[in-house]
Amino acid sequence: MGLKVSPLTRIISLSGFLALGFLLVILSCALFHNYYPLFDILIFLIAPIPNALFSKRNFDSSEFMNESSKNVEDVGHFFTGLLVTSGLALPTVFYHCQIINHYSCIMSTIGGIIIYLSIVVFSWFFNSGWDEEDDALFGY
Amino acid sequence: MEANQERLFRLPFKLPSSATARSLGVYISGGLYAIGAWCFLDAALYSRKANASSVHVTFIDWIPFICSTLGMIIVNSIEKNRLIQDALGSGSFSGSSSMAWQARVILFLGFALLAGGISGSIVVLILKFLVKDFTSYPTLGMGVNNVVGNFCVVLSCVLLWIAQNVEDEYSYSLTL
Repeated sequence: MGLKVSPLTRIISLSGFLALGFLLVILSCALFHNYYPLFDILIFLIAPIPNALFSKRNFDSSEFMNESSKNVEDVGHFFTGLLVTSGLALPTVFYHCQIINHYSCIMSTIGGIIIYLSIVVFSWFFNSGWDEEDDALFGY
Repeated sequence: MEANQERLFRLPFKLPSSATARSLGVYISGGLYAIGAWCFLDAALYSRKANASSVHVTFIDWIPFICSTLGMIIVNSIEKNRLIQDALGSGSFSGSSSMAWQARVILFLGFALLAGGISGSIVVLILKFLVKDFTSYPTLGMGVNNVVGNFCVVLSCVLLWIAQNVEDEYSYSLTL
């Protein structure tokens, strides 16, 4: 990364970003008195957990490139993909079933994406010294 | 920058390595499973909340999805080295053949559950919707979503199997 930003600026801007995501999702609930999109926050908040639990640095280096540690890593990747996709699919399905209207669907989708991206960017900023080649796309 | 590196393409773009391809395949497989599950849940929620017709999603519609999910769990929890060892050492003294037999039987059970799930969803679509003349779309969509969901689950299982069996040259050269 070329630009040098102090960590305090990063933390403040990221927290503002995260608050914007929460604001969008809560607004999508409260404007229409329909609190089903709150599940979207829940899904996107637990989405970074599997990669954090099953990442390869949680295992000691004695089983370096072992088949079992790789399978454990795959479990984390699988559940991350599952949770992120289901977080995107939940407002769409609710909209199709006429539980929420389309403003609420759009706002909760964008808010969920913002929440997840801010969590991923947070872990990417502050863990980038550990290993660079890891997948920065989906967080840890 | 590394200007003199050999590249396959003229633009600065390289094919993903096998480890990246593996993790990407696993991510996409998880996403496909979620799409399948949400397709099915869409049918169930639609039947509960926004249904105007007389046909509803009952427990019969849940059975194929449960079957294919069980099949996916079984197929992907088999240790694949058992099968590979058996294929390499069949006929000779290496490898325990009873272990390979167990692996093969359980794998067959898993694939049978997967195929049963997808064919069961088609059976539900035909017997519950097409035969009884529920052929207009918002009602038929509940049956079609069931088939699409089961198909996505099977596709995710196949993709996970392929992604985990990608031969990666790095660990291969370490083990040899």
